Amino acid sequence: MASIARPALLRQVCNAAPTRRMASTFAGSSLKHPSPLTRRPMQSAFATPGASRVAAFHASGRRPILPPLPQVVDGDVNKPAPIPEPSASHGSYHWTFERLISAGLIPLTIAPFAAGSLNPLMDASLCALIIVHSHIGFQSNIIDYFPEKRIPLIRKGSFWLLRIGTVLLGISMYSFETNDVGITEAIKRIWHA
Amino acid sequence: MASTRALARLATRRTTVPAVWTRSFASVEPASPSRSTIPESKTSTVKEPATEKDAKIKTFHVYRWNPDEPTSKPRMQSYTLDLNKTGPMMLDALIRIKNETDPTLTFRRSCREGICGSCAMNIDGVNTLACLCRIPTDTTKESRIYPLPHTYVVKDLVPDLTNFYKQYRSIKPYLQRDTPPPDGRENRQSKADRKKLDGLYECILCACCSTSCPSYWWNQEEYLGPAVLLQSYRWIADSRDERTAERKDALNNSMSLYRCHTIMNCSRTCPKGLNPGLAIAEIKKSMAFT
Repeated sequence: MASIARPALLRQVCNAAPTRRMASTFAGSSLKHPSPLTRRPMQSAFATPGASRVAAFHASGRRPILPPLPQVVDGDVNKPAPIPEPSASHGSYHWTFERLISAGLIPLTIAPFAAGSLNPLMDASLCALIIVHSHIGFQSNIIDYFPEKRIPLIRKGSFWLLRIGTVLLGISMYSFETNDVGITEAIKRIWHA
Repeated sequence: MASTRALARLATRRTTVPAVWTRSFASVEPASPSRSTIPESKTSTVKEPATEKDAKIKTFHVYRWNPDEPTSKPRMQSYTLDLNKTGPMMLDALIRIKNETDPTLTFRRSCREGICGSCAMNIDGVNTLACLCRIPTDTTKESRIYPLPHTYVVKDLVPDLTNFYKQYRSIKPYLQRDTPPPDGRENRQSKADRKKLDGLYECILCACCSTSCPSYWWNQEEYLGPAVLLQSYRWIADSRDERTAERKDALNNSMSLYRCHTIMNCSRTCPKGLNPGLAIAEIKKSMAFT
């Protein structure tokens, strides 16, 4: 009988304990049962300080983006995390390519304005690098923020959206370069306007 | 309760069970006049020590969540401590709270000198070891203590690092050799080679850097995180290890290593003053044209 009753009793004590302890930390040595009147404001002081601020900040209900799921341990706790298949085109080559393009963009941006000459070949290569650079950047965003395990379809869709966008950008850049003044001249005009 | 006790006594008297087997009950009546209690009117009162005039009272807000009450939300509990009676470090404050105010407060700690990495937590917005973090003496500012961010919480300040340890295991953090040492005794290393491991071997795997990395927050399942990558580089850089190519191959995909965007929160937060960002950059550099 006692063994059955004990857990329940313990739980009651545990539940009651924090409130009394809270009161004691705040009101010094008021270890005796505080009256219900004094107790209420103390408990409200313990409500999360940020909660009211957050509630006031959000006009509508808070809707977390991709809220964390309950914890799932993949396989055994003592098993190592799975190692993905090595693929240099997504790994080291991709990174090297991206760095080279980023580094190449710096002289290409400065050169036409420093030299003051308008070379269509330089213009074309600047356009091409900007397109590839932005494509890789957005690709990285998609990999970061659309996890394949949670939202595979959205991820796939956004990758296609990005590809279509990159192709459209390429076509528009080409037409701008061939039919109009070109990107360097356009920036120059906007700068002086 | 009293009635059940009386009933139990009656019941034991009726039965034929010997008196030795029956349970006795503690009673409040004095057993004999010689052992009677001195009434409180004849004793002095032990008072709680009065707060001193120059007491430096500081408020600590501590994240609390109890897994025994899964429906209740996590809450911030406030504690006040007199800094004159508390040790200099945050861990001293936490231990004092647990000893003197609230024994239900839960946190990990072991060595109290920054060697074990158990007491990693988020103090005033920075991931650090509580034992290496001084309590700011400015009593007007209140300290806030949270568990490591973006981790599953076991209880109060204890994070669940299962995934972190599984990832550490996946990089095979041990010496892998196929050839025995030439003299059959030990794997020797030049002083210059040994020097490459400085700044890497000191890592205590407290997970402060990994849990401060936004990239690790979003993709903890696949991205290894700065701490594990620093350990990985520790074995890649080791001149005695013979599986360097395999180790690099294991990182050669879009997720494991290349989710590092050089945010450098890891190097800024490391309580041991190490530079995981540099180690990751070294791995990337060594893999660049392979």
